[in-house]
Amino acid sequence: MSARPPFPQLPPGPSEPRVLPAHTPGGHVRASAVLLVLTLLVSGFAYPLFVTGVAQLIDPSAANGSLLYYQNGTVAGSSLVAENLSAPFLFWERPSLTDYNLLNGTGTAPGPSDPALQALLNETLNYTREYGEFTVNASIPFWFVAPSASGVDPDLVPEAVLIQIPRVANATNLSVANLTALVNAHITQPLIPDLGVPYVDVLRLDLALVGITGET
Amino acid sequence: MSFAIQSLWDVIVLIAVVLAIAPWFGSYLGRVFMNRPVAGDVVLNPIENAVYRLLGTSPRRSMTAREYMVALLCLNGAVFGFLLAFFLLQGVLPGNPTGVPGMSWDLAFHSAASFTTNTDFTHFTNETQVSFASLVVAWQLALFLSAATGLAVAAAMIRGFVRKDGTVGNFYVDVTRAVTRVLLPLSVVGALVLVLMGVPETYSYVVVAHPLTGGTQTILLGPVASFQSISLLGTNGGGWYSANMASPLANPSALSNLFGTFVMMLIPFSTPFAFGQMVRRRGEAWPFVGTILIVFVVALGLFIAYQAATNPFLGGISGLTVGSNGYPVGQETRWSLSEGSLFQVVSVYANVGANNMQIGAISPGGQMVLLFGMFTQSTPGGEGTGFTTLLLFAVLAIFVGGLMVGRTPEYLGKKITTSHVKWSALAVLVHPASILIPFSVAVLGGYVDLSGPTIGATAHNFSSVLYEFTSESANNGSALSAASVNDTTVFFNVAGGLIMLLGRFVPIYAMLRIGGLFSKQDVIPPGPGTLRTSSATFTVFLTLFLIITTALLFLPVLALGPLGQIVGGP
Repeated sequence: MSARPPFPQLPPGPSEPRVLPAHTPGGHVRASAVLLVLTLLVSGFAYPLFVTGVAQLIDPSAANGSLLYYQNGTVAGSSLVAENLSAPFLFWERPSLTDYNLLNGTGTAPGPSDPALQALLNETLNYTREYGEFTVNASIPFWFVAPSASGVDPDLVPEAVLIQIPRVANATNLSVANLTALVNAHITQPLIPDLGVPYVDVLRLDLALVGITGET
Repeated sequence: MSFAIQSLWDVIVLIAVVLAIAPWFGSYLGRVFMNRPVAGDVVLNPIENAVYRLLGTSPRRSMTAREYMVALLCLNGAVFGFLLAFFLLQGVLPGNPTGVPGMSWDLAFHSAASFTTNTDFTHFTNETQVSFASLVVAWQLALFLSAATGLAVAAAMIRGFVRKDGTVGNFYVDVTRAVTRVLLPLSVVGALVLVLMGVPETYSYVVVAHPLTGGTQTILLGPVASFQSISLLGTNGGGWYSANMASPLANPSALSNLFGTFVMMLIPFSTPFAFGQMVRRRGEAWPFVGTILIVFVVALGLFIAYQAATNPFLGGISGLTVGSNGYPVGQETRWSLSEGSLFQVVSVYANVGANNMQIGAISPGGQMVLLFGMFTQSTPGGEGTGFTTLLLFAVLAIFVGGLMVGRTPEYLGKKITTSHVKWSALAVLVHPASILIPFSVAVLGGYVDLSGPTIGATAHNFSSVLYEFTSESANNGSALSAASVNDTTVFFNVAGGLIMLLGRFVPIYAMLRIGGLFSKQDVIPPGPGTLRTSSATFTVFLTLFLIITTALLFLPVLALGPLGQIVGGP
């Protein structure tokens, strides 16, 4: 048999004897109602107001939605929300099931075994091939034709941005070398290797691109 | 398949960090619920005492299991009624800058039941069907109180093992301390960390942007960080946006995704240690932690493996380069396969139900792994109630194991009688009953059309309805949502609402009654016939008992859904 004692016990804590009688039905109603109101004041007002106050002090840019602006001060969008950027002279975002509109919710991607998935991917792939002007027979990254979960994923894997360079070069008269340098400068690398993946925030990239070409 | 094994490092580090913190944090939780001195007493004790006076209660008014249930139903009934009224009237109430109309009665019923029961399964699009005030004032109230209710139930049931006076504690005191000592302070810290990681926190709700290609784009903001923080910490899983934690605004980076995972894991992984602290035998936490870890780690490994494989149903598409993730449809770009999978598996296994991907678009194998987590609902399960569900399985396992080896079925010096086993069996059986019966009614009654153009598509629709009822019964809240299954009908709203209420309050009543039964019993000193429950043998036995019981209950229904897709193939 084991040499250890069967139940190693911690020192006993103070007991809590029941010394008061049970609540009356009215007592329960009162306690519940008051507890609801008190929690409501904290959870619905004090808590979000306090956090907002501190957030606006410590990181106002993030707290206000990481907005991006044109030079004249108008809001161009948020670096955290994709836009429809499907113009020849811009780098494109991932496809969206909601037309990049937050008010459309998220849309529903077809299931993995649903023939509708194959149809959707083929449709996107054909559109991409037709209007994308890629190098002939280039293999396209799956991410570039796969609709995102949120409908507004603003990021794209670098390979899917790099394959768009021939089209953008053609439409903007910028050199492939210049565009490659621009894209490479916009690749966000993980802070530590393999903590996250390298990606490009496409709206930021396109704002920089438009800043050079002046084209809209 | 090109999955890089080194990309797992941060997943392993995160699990290690949680396991390093859990014993310490669990011991803090235990001290909070045993009313022992803890840090913060100087400030919080006077505040709490003032609250108790306003409520007309006192920590010395300890309740029997029945009275505890009455108190619990009073408060949760009040929350339910408040939410129901708020959602029906949100169109005319203040705080509605986008002019959202009031909800229909069935949708309001489903939503109020969903948030009160810590489920947060939604049948609406947040951006157009819920007002700003409904999010901040109504829903957020339930985020706090449903989580506090779960913690209170765990505290009450565990007290049964250390008391002899037949009482299990004071519900109002437990809820108050859960809010002041655990949920509120941690939510504030978590929300501020999320802001530093890029999540919005503002009272300006609508921003109109002017995209490069013309037109306008509406961007909805708000106090998102504070909402998501309590939603994840309280294992609610509700999202400010309908994309939930897949939304780049709610979850902007791989780092925020990992932090969110940590927040979800913290309380569920610490509760077994709180149990060890409360029964004053710290070693007794390990069989539970061991069982949770074995099931959880195997599930995570399977999930990653299923997602890394290429989709066999996509045979007819050429010219696509598949990266490390074989299922990028319905996934976000910014985190790796292993990080995204960790979040999703934790979220479902801890009954949070937040999504950082569209579950309907992942591999059938991945869907099956997630379903299994909701079938057990205890590895680790939701706030408080996940652990107590595992405790029920332990009671049953000790009873069965005791009979098998001829030992007296007793646990921590308390004898397990037929009454304990009856209540445990009731609590465990409510779950399959409230999934499979409504499911049969929905399919046979013609309330949903599962037929698709191929067997694969039909199996997917089948999974969608199975997943919905399972998620509601487990109070999880994640959804598979096949595109061709319409679950926003009156039938699904009413059935779903009832399932969530049953799946929440029937097991809670059984847990409290078992706690009450234990609390009436004297402690038997351990003898040579006592089953040692803090051993590795018992851990393995409990794990197998849990897996086999779950498999026996649910394997047939899995075979028609995801298992059918895997075995049947394209």
